[in-house]
Amino acid sequence: MISLNELMPALPEIVLACMGMILLMLGVFRGDGSTRSVSWIAVLVLIVVGVVLSSVQNGRMTAFGGQFVVDDFAHFMKWLIIIGSSFAILMSINFNERESIARFEYPVLILFATLGMFMMVSANDLISLYIGLELQSLSLYVVAAFRRDSLKSSEAGLKYFVLGALSSGMLLYGCSLVYGFAGTTSFEGLATLFKSLGGTGPSVGLVVGLVFLIAGLAFKVSAVPFHMWTPDVYEGAPTPVTAFFAVAPKIAAIALFIRVLVGPFGVLIADWQQVIVLISIASMVLGALAAIWQDNIKRLLAYSSIGNIGYALIGLATGTEAGIRGILVYMTIYLAMNVGTFCCVLAMRRTGRMVENIADLAGLARNQPLMALALAILMFSMAGIPPLAGFFGKLYIFLAAIEAGLYTLAIIGVLASVVGAFYYLRIIKIMYFDEPAEVFDRSMGREVRAILVGTTLFVTFFIVRPDIIVEGAGTAARMLLAG
Amino acid sequence: MIYVLAIFLPLVGATIAGLFGHWLKDKGAQIVTCGGLLLSATFSVIILNEVALKGEPQTIQIFSWIISGGFEVDWSLRFDTLTAVMLVVVTVVSCAVHFYSIGYMHHDPSVPRFFAYLSLFTFFMLMLVTANNFLQLFFGWEGVGLASYLLIGFWYEKPSANAAAIKAFLVNRVGDFGFALGILGVFLMYGSIDFDTVFNATPGKAAATMEFLGGTWHALTVLCLLLFIGAMGKSAQLGLHTWLPDAMEGPTPVSALIHAATMVTAGVFMVARLSPMFEYAPFALDVVCVVGASTAFFAATVGLVQNDIKRVIAYSTCSQLGYMFFACGVSAYAAGVFHLFTHAFFKALLFLGAGSVIHAMSSEQDMRHMGGIWSHIKLTYAMMWIGSLALAGLPFFAGFYSKDMVLEAAFAADSGVGFYAFWMGIIAAVMTAFYSWRLLFMTFHGEPRADEKTMAHVHESPKVMTIPLIVLSLGALFAGYIGYDAFVGTGMNEFWGKAIFVLPTNTAIIDAHHVPLWVKLLPIFVGLIGIGLAYYMYIMRTDMPAKVAAKCWKLYLFLYNKWYFDELYDKLFVQPANYIGRGLWKEGDGTLIDGLGPDGVASLVRNLAGRVSQLQSGYVYHYAFAMLIGVAGLVTLYLYTLG
Amino acid sequence: MIIQALSFYLFAFVAVAAAVMVISARNPVHSVLFLILAFFNAAGLFVLIGAEFIAMILVVVYVGAVAVLFLFVVMMLDISFAELRQGFLQYLPIGGLVGVVLLAELMMIGGTWIFAPAASTVKANPTPAIDKTTNTEAIGNILYTDYIYLFQGAGLVLLVAMVGAIVLTLRARPGVRKQKISDQINRRPEDAIEVKKVQSGSGI
Repeated sequence: MISLNELMPALPEIVLACMGMILLMLGVFRGDGSTRSVSWIAVLVLIVVGVVLSSVQNGRMTAFGGQFVVDDFAHFMKWLIIIGSSFAILMSINFNERESIARFEYPVLILFATLGMFMMVSANDLISLYIGLELQSLSLYVVAAFRRDSLKSSEAGLKYFVLGALSSGMLLYGCSLVYGFAGTTSFEGLATLFKSLGGTGPSVGLVVGLVFLIAGLAFKVSAVPFHMWTPDVYEGAPTPVTAFFAVAPKIAAIALFIRVLVGPFGVLIADWQQVIVLISIASMVLGALAAIWQDNIKRLLAYSSIGNIGYALIGLATGTEAGIRGILVYMTIYLAMNVGTFCCVLAMRRTGRMVENIADLAGLARNQPLMALALAILMFSMAGIPPLAGFFGKLYIFLAAIEAGLYTLAIIGVLASVVGAFYYLRIIKIMYFDEPAEVFDRSMGREVRAILVGTTLFVTFFIVRPDIIVEGAGTAARMLLAG
Repeated sequence: MIYVLAIFLPLVGATIAGLFGHWLKDKGAQIVTCGGLLLSATFSVIILNEVALKGEPQTIQIFSWIISGGFEVDWSLRFDTLTAVMLVVVTVVSCAVHFYSIGYMHHDPSVPRFFAYLSLFTFFMLMLVTANNFLQLFFGWEGVGLASYLLIGFWYEKPSANAAAIKAFLVNRVGDFGFALGILGVFLMYGSIDFDTVFNATPGKAAATMEFLGGTWHALTVLCLLLFIGAMGKSAQLGLHTWLPDAMEGPTPVSALIHAATMVTAGVFMVARLSPMFEYAPFALDVVCVVGASTAFFAATVGLVQNDIKRVIAYSTCSQLGYMFFACGVSAYAAGVFHLFTHAFFKALLFLGAGSVIHAMSSEQDMRHMGGIWSHIKLTYAMMWIGSLALAGLPFFAGFYSKDMVLEAAFAADSGVGFYAFWMGIIAAVMTAFYSWRLLFMTFHGEPRADEKTMAHVHESPKVMTIPLIVLSLGALFAGYIGYDAFVGTGMNEFWGKAIFVLPTNTAIIDAHHVPLWVKLLPIFVGLIGIGLAYYMYIMRTDMPAKVAAKCWKLYLFLYNKWYFDELYDKLFVQPANYIGRGLWKEGDGTLIDGLGPDGVASLVRNLAGRVSQLQSGYVYHYAFAMLIGVAGLVTLYLYTLG
Repeated sequence: MIIQALSFYLFAFVAVAAAVMVISARNPVHSVLFLILAFFNAAGLFVLIGAEFIAMILVVVYVGAVAVLFLFVVMMLDISFAELRQGFLQYLPIGGLVGVVLLAELMMIGGTWIFAPAASTVKANPTPAIDKTTNTEAIGNILYTDYIYLFQGAGLVLLVAMVGAIVLTLRARPGVRKQKISDQINRRPEDAIEVKKVQSGSGI
């Protein structure tokens, strides 16, 4: 029998699941008119979940017979996910109403996606990994196609679904290979198994399974060559959804990546390091190059996120505590920068219609100087220019790479970020130096403006107290490696 | 407190005048800077009294500047006798020049800028003389270089002024390179660049050697020579002197302050300051002596035939700096600094007097277009006489005491280089007297050669210009007499304290008091000869100069063209540098680096980016296919590396 | 024993052959039918290894529900499969290459199959002896206890799938008359029936 006490570590997930269903009921009975209240309640639920999360958090705990684990690492990542999800809901409230796609299912689906991500982050078993991943993915497929009357949105959802299914297949195939060669799906079991191997090394099949597993996960973080869906889906999905895609699922997937590779497969670093290095290089280079020709700002941000994941994977390739700390810091900053940028994209609206071309930003500095300034700061930060936060994100990653002796990776990373700086700075150039285009509607919405201001301030003043984030990340990384 | 104030008041003045010049207007900027300088000068005199006369050297710690590994530099002000003397020279002359400029520059549209630069220069000069370590010295050194650049190019709309400013800057870079190398060498040798630490350790390093340019050398000699290259640049010694005459493109008060009284003497100051090191490097001292003596001779010869009133004085400055250096070269640092002290007054006086003449002649600088104006500007005329008398070293004027002391010390050194310096000095003295009076006679006497309009305009300068002249003339009259005892006479040891170090075996300065009578009289005698010759050629037989020039036209041209130094450098350095630079720019940078580098990489990146974008076809099965190829590739890679 | 081996090869061969036919049949309806055949044979294989519960589930769920659903969809949608197959030849060489490479690699792995020596020590749920308890019971025993977390998670996945299907397809069309049961039940006689006293012989 499972006593209630044993469920305590999973309390945030339980609350989230129950509240998601309650909100679903509420929406069903009250109709689409309740969307606004359901959205706000959903945000409230996320905050409550965050509080519960922090209050039950106490060192490393497992539940459900070891299939579920909570530690400082999970705690840190889940907070990032909560922030990303709440922003996604907040940003959508006005947007969905204006686009007349305001339906109560949206916040509910975001809640379920969040739950799926929580499960991914806390996965301690290959099966719970898969279940979490599917829960998250299914919710995402649906929200990607949420503007069902738009061909682009439907196409985005469908593409995402088909390719996602393929990647799930690869992942499952990998899992089954691993299970077949190891006889267990539990991370702890795998860890003990690999440790007991000693110097003999794992069987080939096991590592091939691991490669498939990595391929499946790489799809979720949209790393090259499993990235092809990203630009199309980013472009097609409604903008708040794209913002959500750019942050929360990426964070969850990279958390899962770290947990799997550094946890049970940590001993086999020699086997998976080269794969990660390759994926990382390819992502950085492609992210930097392909973005150059983009006209659509959402596609551009898609490639930017591919590049950013490449940098984060550098940290993973090191497999060291410093590397993981670097990823956590990087993802935190990445979250802030992306959410802020998407707030600006949301504000790109002329006579009631969304415009998404980079050229539409021309002369923004003269029409809306404050927004242009915020966007300029975010772009400078993305380009990694000190003293903004983006610089520190890259700094910690590259430092870790150098410490681990991955010089090639660090050098390619620096070069790629130089190339990448081109298109970030191009946006600034267009805003500040080009002839002004038409003025945008001044109806950003209070929530979006607050998020934009908040993220911009974070990015600007990160330098003042970097230790808050960095120390939290350090503790999380330490605990992950110790457990 | 007054110690710090004396140094930083000019900076405060410069900052206020520079940043708020628009708002303050000319008047405000003048009040701020001149007021600051007046206070600073007053404090300096007090400091001189306390430090030198009462014998209380001080070091004031301001803050720690750089701490990097074993390298620690404090920012502190050192006040000993040498500093105090320089403080007085700098602030008093600067103060006089500030006031003089109020009158001289009142037509200029950007007066606040001028005063800001002037005060800024003064501040850097004070930083230089109060430096307590090499780095601070270097800071001041570069600072005055910067201010000098700004002031020479003050009339930046004039191409010649710009060119002169750049030339001054570049030639100084050559010297500064040596200086910087010297400082690095000092750090290498001593592990510290603090003066006291270095000086105390020097006796122990007297025999040390170091590797330099592939050979093993006596370390101190190498260091001192490198440092001396810096001094040569700043003090316009033979070889690196070419910038000084051109620097006359700047406003005349600038020439008086920077290029006569203060900045150009920084080299002499440096050698005196580093006397504890130079004393242990006898070869370096010999070099200093020979370079100084040669400069004294060379500059005097060129001065003979120049026609621009300011250039004549500029070459005279160059020549006098040579005197100071060869005094230092025979270990008579006190004599060198004494000459520096008196020279500052009479040379500033000469420059400002020349400025007054130029002012009177409506900006005419060519002496061939002057003449016969003495009766119109009597006060200036008198001032120029005093200055020239002091320069020529006629008895009881300031120059008499110091110049004779320098020459006697050179004689008393009783060495080959000493005699060389002595005789060069004597010959230069003849020429000094000659060109000084040539200047006087051409400018003030004879038939007026200017056009009538100019002549009608000739007028005495306003009081704000003449009073500084009178103040300086007092210095030119009495500085030598007053200072003789303390600087080089019986009170010498007490006065200098530990500021200057001379090995007990180097006794030139003491022996100088006991040289034969003819040595003492010879400078006066040759001075009189020079004056007589000038009188004969420019008053009695005014056709003589042209005849002489025609007769020895080769020599004349050689001198007139300044020994072809500029042409030589042009051929040797400027043109090849231009050629190489152009080649590197067009071919190296433009074609090669830009082509392969920025432009090439950029176009490559654009190409690649285009291709990468084309991969994104939009077909799901392409995407799926890419994923499959990816995973197959990764598995293959893994199996391949496995073996 | 020989019968068991024979049936294994029979089922396996038919399953593979049917799978090949699924992707090579010209008529999509045939494809689905071959799929059903493949499922049946797979179920047979499960029975052979004593996993009768999974075999039944396979038949009930996949054959009974999923495959039939497929059949309906394929028949309802007017898809020109010939068109879809046009690119087939174009991509065959490279696709074939990738497939062959992957296959070769996987076979290589199969050849080096070494069951991890320590595997038995980390086994989570040892299989109970077949003669003591039935398949169904064994699965039920752990599904609602040890794997409750995964079971609930899977439930949520299905819920989300359902919500998603509704969100993306359900439309409230105006002007469509729908049966509203509550309205029908709530109808009272007074709403529908008017009782009028009719004077005889006068008409209404």
